[in-house]
Amino acid sequence: MYVLVADDSRVMRQIVIRTLRQAGYDWQIIEATDGQEAYDMALAENPDLILSDWNMPNATGIEALQALRQAGCMIPFGFITSEGSQEMRDQAEAAGALFLIAKPFTAESVRETIDPVLA
Amino acid sequence: MIAGLVTVSREQILAITEDVFAAMIDGGSEVLVTERHEPVPAPVEPLCAWVDMTVAELGLGVRTIVRTERPAADQLTRALLMMDASEAVGQEDLVDAFGELANVVGGNVKSLLAAPAVLSLPSVAQTAPELPENQFLQDIALDWRGSVLVVSLWSLV
Repeated sequence: MYVLVADDSRVMRQIVIRTLRQAGYDWQIIEATDGQEAYDMALAENPDLILSDWNMPNATGIEALQALRQAGCMIPFGFITSEGSQEMRDQAEAAGALFLIAKPFTAESVRETIDPVLA
Repeated sequence: MIAGLVTVSREQILAITEDVFAAMIDGGSEVLVTERHEPVPAPVEPLCAWVDMTVAELGLGVRTIVRTERPAADQLTRALLMMDASEAVGQEDLVDAFGELANVVGGNVKSLLAAPAVLSLPSVAQTAPELPENQFLQDIALDWRGSVLVVSLWSLV
């Protein structure tokens, strides 16, 4: 699997990547530092999955997702974000996201969410 | 109006910080952050991180501030980045890590607000911008590995 992780925090990207490894996913990871870069890298690199923060400078995660879908890009997309309200989950789902993992997360909670999507 | 928006109790703030520290900082399910019942010592080398949650249509908001001392923020950064205890913490990593801690705590507080709000990016500085006392909503002092943290909520009007 070739996976794009987007988060403006280097610390959080590192935590997400570490947690993915702990969850047993031996994936090749590329990193984006904001929503605009996530959009650009998704179109240029065509990853198998995008895992994105919501609240980022330049473009938010939801704006990146909406722009990708408008561009006809249907790469599976999930959020890993500090905000897990029902309103945001509904907004994410309406935009085409497959899941929303709220921070803080554990390797177990990440696996429980992502495994069914990969099946 | 703000009282109707913010019904976040000290117990809920404690539960959020316990979850955040256990999952992200202390490497598992062990809860090492506890409520502090003793007085909070005057900060010597303070560091604050905060995020704002605003409800534009109501013209209201809430600020979540996490305050600690620089050595504790260094320790938090090392834990988040899995650095050795002897490794020096750079300013960029410190701001990123401590800001992200406030971001995750604030994001979870935001989920408890009565109205959908927009979360800001985190800010980090020695002190948070001063707010009038009458905008104070709630706070809780916490002990973590010999250090003290204070999480406070303030209204933004």
